[in-house]
Amino acid sequence: MLTKEELQNTLKDNCINLRFHARGGQGGVTASNLCVEAFHGFGVCQPKFGAERMGSPTESYVRLSLNDDLVRNNEQVYAPHVVSVLDPSLLGEIDVAAGLAPGGWLIVNTTIDQVSLQEVIGRNDINIATIDALNIAMEILGRNITNTIILGAILRVMPMFTVDALKDAVMARFKGSLAGKNIEAIKRAYDDTCIYETLDAPKLDFSKDTKIPWQQISLGLPGYKELDKAGVWYCDETVIEMGSKLVNTGSWGEWDMIWDKETCTDCAQCWFICPDFAILREKNDDGLWHMVGIDQGHCKSCQNCLETCPVKAITKQLKQGPASCAAPQ
Amino acid sequence: MKIFFKEIKEPIETAMIGNYAVAGGITQTDPDVICAFPITPQTQSVEGLSDVVNQGRLIAAFVNVESELAAISYATAACASGARTFTATASQGYLLMTEGLPMPVGWRLPLTMLISARAFNAPNLSIWNQWEYTQVNAELGWNIFVSENVQETYDAAILSTMIAEDTLFPTIFVHDGFIISHSVQKLTLIPDETVLRMTPKKPRHIIDTAKPGTWGGIVTPNYFMEGRANLENAKKPVLGQMQAAFDRFKSETGRQYNLIETYNLDNSSKTAFCTMGSMSGNIISWMTKNKDVGLIKLRAYRPFPVEELRKIVEEHNIEKLILLEKSDALNGLLPPFAMSIASALYPLGTIFRSFIVGLGGRDVTREEFTVTKKKMELVNDMKGPLYSYLGVRETKQKIEGVDQ
Ligand code: SF4
Ligand code: SF4
Repeated sequence: MLTKEELQNTLKDNCINLRFHARGGQGGVTASNLCVEAFHGFGVCQPKFGAERMGSPTESYVRLSLNDDLVRNNEQVYAPHVVSVLDPSLLGEIDVAAGLAPGGWLIVNTTIDQVSLQEVIGRNDINIATIDALNIAMEILGRNITNTIILGAILRVMPMFTVDALKDAVMARFKGSLAGKNIEAIKRAYDDTCIYETLDAPKLDFSKDTKIPWQQISLGLPGYKELDKAGVWYCDETVIEMGSKLVNTGSWGEWDMIWDKETCTDCAQCWFICPDFAILREKNDDGLWHMVGIDQGHCKSCQNCLETCPVKAITKQLKQGPASCAAPQ
Repeated sequence: MKIFFKEIKEPIETAMIGNYAVAGGITQTDPDVICAFPITPQTQSVEGLSDVVNQGRLIAAFVNVESELAAISYATAACASGARTFTATASQGYLLMTEGLPMPVGWRLPLTMLISARAFNAPNLSIWNQWEYTQVNAELGWNIFVSENVQETYDAAILSTMIAEDTLFPTIFVHDGFIISHSVQKLTLIPDETVLRMTPKKPRHIIDTAKPGTWGGIVTPNYFMEGRANLENAKKPVLGQMQAAFDRFKSETGRQYNLIETYNLDNSSKTAFCTMGSMSGNIISWMTKNKDVGLIKLRAYRPFPVEELRKIVEEHNIEKLILLEKSDALNGLLPPFAMSIASALYPLGTIFRSFIVGLGGRDVTREEFTVTKKKMELVNDMKGPLYSYLGVRETKQKIEGVDQ
């Protein structure tokens, strides 16, 4: 691991790039903002550009350096040195280690041990740190918000700034006791982080550009000569993968929707209102359509169906497991 | 945005997204009317202003309207009646405004407008960055200047008020959508007192019952052309007034802006990139390791700084220009930015090629710079095609114009 002095020295003519994975509403962007605010030097933070929705997987990037010119770069971050995962449920959904520079750090909010984690990630050229941020959050903050806590873990392996500098940034952003609690949580995280330096991992080289050339072009998708009428996308999945089937909206929500077959009168009001076609229906022998269930893979728990059902045949239950941390801030 | 809820008494270093920085800068200029229809990626700029009005920090009419056409019409009328007025838009919203865009120029109204640059919707809908402001409406007579980063767009919010009121022409200031509008960057805020000193509310012509007149009435062919020539004549001193505003801004804040800014022009290859906006930052970063090429960054886009550009190219003996622009023109002529540069440099015969990059938010990275620089080494005349797309898939496996 780099000492604070070594890192400061490196940052004189290099950039450190960070990437945060979270879900919309978990405050991944706030975490990256705090990095910029706490760093004594130049820094920028970008979200992955586009529309962020509650519960959907999000990415945000940070670029820090003591050289102003290096931070003037507005590219998205392709080859981060540190990747932090705020929500362990993302591990199954997103390739969180993508582009992570050899010798870089993957920091995950999880209780899984690092060896199993390394198996899931499938890379032995990076280092891993874990932190049970959920536990700390529930204990100190009283709610499942882990975005500041993860920063404590990052500082443990990558001393970009001191815990005190982070404290100042937190104080400037949060009010009163909330600031105090966040600082306490950050300090706990700093102490509790489990560090796993991989034996085979090379030394992190900040001067090396590990971006895959032209990766922003997304080779593999159809080229302009392969499109039919440019703006017209026919429903031919052999040409362009498309449709909401590709989007795992089921992981965005906080609730499981429970449907009670006995109470349901098949009025279809929930089917009309569901924005994600997650109400499943089938045509019976009687020639009529009947509701048969809810597609949990695509239900994003917007609760429209629950509100609309005239006979209260739909109820909700808090999701068990990691995705349940997608609670609104 | 909260930082703007209170008076800013001294220069403060803080960090925020470009849109909030604009909202804050506009707040500090004490506008009387804010009227804009929200559109991604401009939305938070107006949202931020609604916040400061709601907080009582800014005493202004925050007017909700049903469309961009309504916004520009309302803003024009408000400005004509003497109100300091701000509006903002992007992309399709800018198109919907079109009908209302010529008149504030004709009436010489110091209206200010943010454009958070975003692609027009064709052939698909895109909410991401593109230089739509170069593709339409650029010749209607609005002043247009472009910012690279959050500090610049914050400063531009204040400068646009100075420039609009000094020149009596409506003024657009642009930042790249998402890339700047949604990125958090550090910036230094200017104390309220300083901003107000730079943007005093000066008396100007307004709709006034004490001085009745007809605004925009119909005229026969024996008047109309004089009106146009009068406007053209009035635009002549604008670049000088812009530079004067930049200089005044420098004396108050220490930050120097110019119509055109240059980097490393006395390089061994006598070649320079020429572009605007956030891409300039990407190039400057890349140039830390590539010192044999320069950069010309245009801040003023309309009026176009023709003389200034010629002078720079001549003084530094620039032989070749690599134009990078986030806009295209589908009918075989040069894309708009290149068209402007080509017209300006025609007498000098400077060799150039234009590369269309970054449409619809596609990232522009070190590879584009390396490749265009290499390509330019082989170019020695103005024969053959003068523009091409770069960073586009020709087929699933092939990038157009790039040997991998
Ligand atoms: S909560 Fe109901 S309406 Fe909303 S996505 Fe799920 S099934 Fe559809
Ligand atoms: S709204 Fe209620 S009763 Fe009607 S189909 Fe849906 S679940 Fe059944």
